[in-house]
Amino acid sequence: MRKAKWLMIFFAFMLAVSFIYAGGKKEEEGSGAAAPEPKKDVTLTVVWHGGVCADMLLELAKDWTAISGVKVEGALVGYGPAWHDKIASEFAARGSGFDLACWDSQSIGEFAGGGHCVLLNPYIEKSDKLNMSDWSKEMLARYGEYPDGSGKIYALPVNADSEGMHYRKDLFEDPDEKAGFKTKYGYELAIPQTWQQLRDIAEWFTRPPDLYGLGMMGGREYDYLTSVTNCLVWVFGGELWNPATYEIKGYIDSPASIDGVKFYIDLMEFCPPGVETWGWDEVNVAFQTGKVAMAHNWFYFFGAMDDPEQNPYSDVTGFAILPGGIGRDGMFRREFSMGGQGIGISKYSKHVQEAWEFIEWYEQKEQQKRYGAVCQTGRQDVLDDPAWLGGNDYNRLFRVAFNYTNDYWHLPEYAILLDILQEETHNAITGKKTPEQAMADCADRQEKILEKAGYEIERTPKIDVPDTKVTPCGKPDVVPIYVD
Amino acid sequence: MVLNDYQKFANREKWIKYLFLWPTLILLLFLIAYPFIMLIYYSFFNYSFLRPGNVRAVGFKNYVNILTDTYSWERFIFTFKYVALAVVVQFVLGVLIAFLLQKEFWGRETVFTIVLMPMMLCPVVVGLFWKYMFNTEWGIINYFIHNILGLAQVEWLGKEKNSLWATIIADTWMWTPFMVLLASAAFSAVPRYLYEAASVDRASSWFKFTNITLPLSAPILILAVIFRLMDSIKMFDLVYTLTGGGPGDATQTVSFTLYKTAFQYFYTGEGSAWAFILLIIIIGLSSILIKILNYLSEKSR
Amino acid sequence: MEQRRGIVRRIVFVIIIIVVLIYTLFPLYWLFLASLKTRIDLFTIPPKFTFKPTFSHYKKLFIYTTLETGEEQQTRFLYWLINSMISAGVGTALAVSFGTMAGYINSRMTYRGKGDFMFFVLSTRMLPPVAIIVPLYIVFARLRLADTRLGMILLYTLIGIGLATWIMKGFFDGIPTEVEEAAFVNGYTRFQAFFKILVPMVKGGIAATAGFCFIFAWNEFTFASIIATRHAMTLPPRIVSFMGTSGFEWGIVAASGYILIIPILVLFILIRKYILMGMTFGVLGRK
Repeated sequence: MRKAKWLMIFFAFMLAVSFIYAGGKKEEEGSGAAAPEPKKDVTLTVVWHGGVCADMLLELAKDWTAISGVKVEGALVGYGPAWHDKIASEFAARGSGFDLACWDSQSIGEFAGGGHCVLLNPYIEKSDKLNMSDWSKEMLARYGEYPDGSGKIYALPVNADSEGMHYRKDLFEDPDEKAGFKTKYGYELAIPQTWQQLRDIAEWFTRPPDLYGLGMMGGREYDYLTSVTNCLVWVFGGELWNPATYEIKGYIDSPASIDGVKFYIDLMEFCPPGVETWGWDEVNVAFQTGKVAMAHNWFYFFGAMDDPEQNPYSDVTGFAILPGGIGRDGMFRREFSMGGQGIGISKYSKHVQEAWEFIEWYEQKEQQKRYGAVCQTGRQDVLDDPAWLGGNDYNRLFRVAFNYTNDYWHLPEYAILLDILQEETHNAITGKKTPEQAMADCADRQEKILEKAGYEIERTPKIDVPDTKVTPCGKPDVVPIYVD
Repeated sequence: MVLNDYQKFANREKWIKYLFLWPTLILLLFLIAYPFIMLIYYSFFNYSFLRPGNVRAVGFKNYVNILTDTYSWERFIFTFKYVALAVVVQFVLGVLIAFLLQKEFWGRETVFTIVLMPMMLCPVVVGLFWKYMFNTEWGIINYFIHNILGLAQVEWLGKEKNSLWATIIADTWMWTPFMVLLASAAFSAVPRYLYEAASVDRASSWFKFTNITLPLSAPILILAVIFRLMDSIKMFDLVYTLTGGGPGDATQTVSFTLYKTAFQYFYTGEGSAWAFILLIIIIGLSSILIKILNYLSEKSR
Repeated sequence: MEQRRGIVRRIVFVIIIIVVLIYTLFPLYWLFLASLKTRIDLFTIPPKFTFKPTFSHYKKLFIYTTLETGEEQQTRFLYWLINSMISAGVGTALAVSFGTMAGYINSRMTYRGKGDFMFFVLSTRMLPPVAIIVPLYIVFARLRLADTRLGMILLYTLIGIGLATWIMKGFFDGIPTEVEEAAFVNGYTRFQAFFKILVPMVKGGIAATAGFCFIFAWNEFTFASIIATRHAMTLPPRIVSFMGTSGFEWGIVAASGYILIIPILVLFILIRKYILMGMTFGVLGRK
């Protein structure tokens, strides 16, 4: 009986405390309040996925609070679909739960296209602290422009990212390895300039079960697999679609694109088993446990590779730009996926002006320089700054790498097209369907989605190497990149 | 049931009916029924919350599309396979464990609490952690299979056939305690004297179990199966964290497809149609089981 | 012969109990170890059973080290923990209260549409959360309940009420009507009979229902991640948002798993007795 009495007292206490708490807190500003607050009590909410960059933004924001009195707080969510879903639901409900949100560059179509974020052009033009030329045209277009080519900016770059690779210098520079490699393949063991070379190196270093040649993403979730297969599709001359005509059939299922997918399947042989479930986390782990000689991952994680506490091999880790490839038409192309996020203002926010002022301050050079210490910024002057470039081994690589990035479709239907591409490509690499069948199904399904959304698909004659029509960037000879 | 005398008092203070029922009714009506009706309404359009332009009424087209698409049927079949296997395995294991725990032995209460622990963990943590354990290279499960038992490494989450079993193993680990709890309660309710009578006739424990315990506990066991069935069909957290619907679309249950359609694609109209179809399925199955439950309840008197 | 059979049976029994314990316990044990391993130790091949433990994951839940200056600040973990407690606790209390009342009525009285009402209540548990979440969120936003504690409490009350009503009806069915008749004869009003006599008799059922409702509300992820953003955010959605420089923070996930389980474990140890005793009572008189 005594225990029961204590239980009751405990619960009554909890009930009382909670009612007091619940009652009081509801009056806080934000989504629960009715009247607009005086400026001094404004708190901005930023949604982003949890991580180092978000932590950095929030830390820097404390200085803004000291200057302006406006508090900035984070509502961080887990990486992956949950992050997109959170932002999407809030927009769908026209809620004011957050004022600022950072979303993957590819989602700009969905959010801007649905009319959920504030057009930033008038603010930038009026501003005396920021200028359109602070970022390269590419940067702005990729992270904030919708529709493509219109010049309308809905988000500013908050974290710039692209894919790159890192490798084990000790293995690459070991004289025995070099000699053996040269004997077998006939050229020097060095940072690969083509994917074909990378394949050879991966094959050379594949010595199961302790060492494999390559670690790369291959997971079904989110964009893990396709961010890698897209690189391959592009370097072989394939394309995801034709932005001018909205055609997908004949592009993602063109012979060149299928070459790319098949190449990925070949490469899987030189990766540790299970690669078809890997996201960037597993790639990092594989490299950090010394399982792989090379790894293909986002620049976002290069900081961790450099850190001895996270990576036991950090002192022998070298960084490089991803190779290009020679397609079936004999041309050399170097392209890889871009990543990163842009920050935009929610149209339903109650503090649009304050939100803009925060972004205006945050995107200035001094703040971006501090941010650049842990993440990649989008601002051109910081990217060109020798201090940033010299800060570590990979910043200078990033500056070069960004010029070779390509991206998914910038359409409101991005999330759906991505899921279909992920599913079918994953079917291809796990052997459930042949690559030809999978890509054909993919094109079919994706076109149905576009039709459903009301786009007019113009038919043009098919060609084997669509890149020559869409974004011709093939060069007749291999163009090596050496960055020191 | 002797209700006749009670009837005298049955009409006493009828107003209490309203006082006690209304809070529940209002809460449920506003916060569930209303959104649900919205849902049904939307299922007849091609609306999207996120891309509000261009709305058209499409009648039953959403439903027709779902029911005639081969992809949908693959999902239904997979979900059926998964639910049937999971519920059966959990039922058998749960009943077995409850049976074993019937006997009094030293440490019984502690063992009981420990057995219940997996159910208390957060499903998201469980899904993520099993993903870590199932990893082909550094997962502890393959360590036991490959290094200790010497068999080939199993690609749990990368191969279609295995991913079904991986999901079932994780789900069983987490939810068998639910069965154990309800089954234990049911077993401890059987009156002792029935066992004593059987012992006099030299009945074995197996005989006692199948002829006394099981029949009398049948109502509660069926109720447990109903709850587990409903929850399995609705299950989403586990697939989301463990496989993401993969490999390919192998472990994409109907519930996960609903999530994808309504959330990732934000096809509100189609998503609502999926939700309604799923609801009909659950209602259908539950009704059948509830009928069986009532029948068994009557029988056990 | 009898004795030999008895011993064999005993041994088999013990073996099976041990296998069951291993199946249940090993992942729990492994999870516990994971919460103490450094990132490097988490992924060694072969997996490590002995290693130098670190409490940094637990620490990181509560203390945040700034990137630039390295100074330490408190995270909002306690805030979210309190949110979880309030939402789940008050929600459970309300669900059990309303459910008990509704269960009583449905057990004792008839009214037009009773069968429908009970089915309606059960059907609210049949709806997949992901289906209802966006319309529900819109309703919440219009009612200005989005991201408020009151909204979360209402949400969890909703989730629990179906279960509570059905289970409590079952328990009330198990109490013979003579009890109430005796009370009426002795001059109690229905109200008093309910509160003073019947409720204490179903204590076990209330305990069990509260236990289940609390577990579901406490661990709830889908709704919480969407409906709450900052003010009312609970723990489960926040666990998965921890990401370090290298990637997903498995150690923190494991640590938070254990921190989350503590309140539930405490609750269950306290109400354990009531459950076994209570369930018994209810089963006997099931209609």
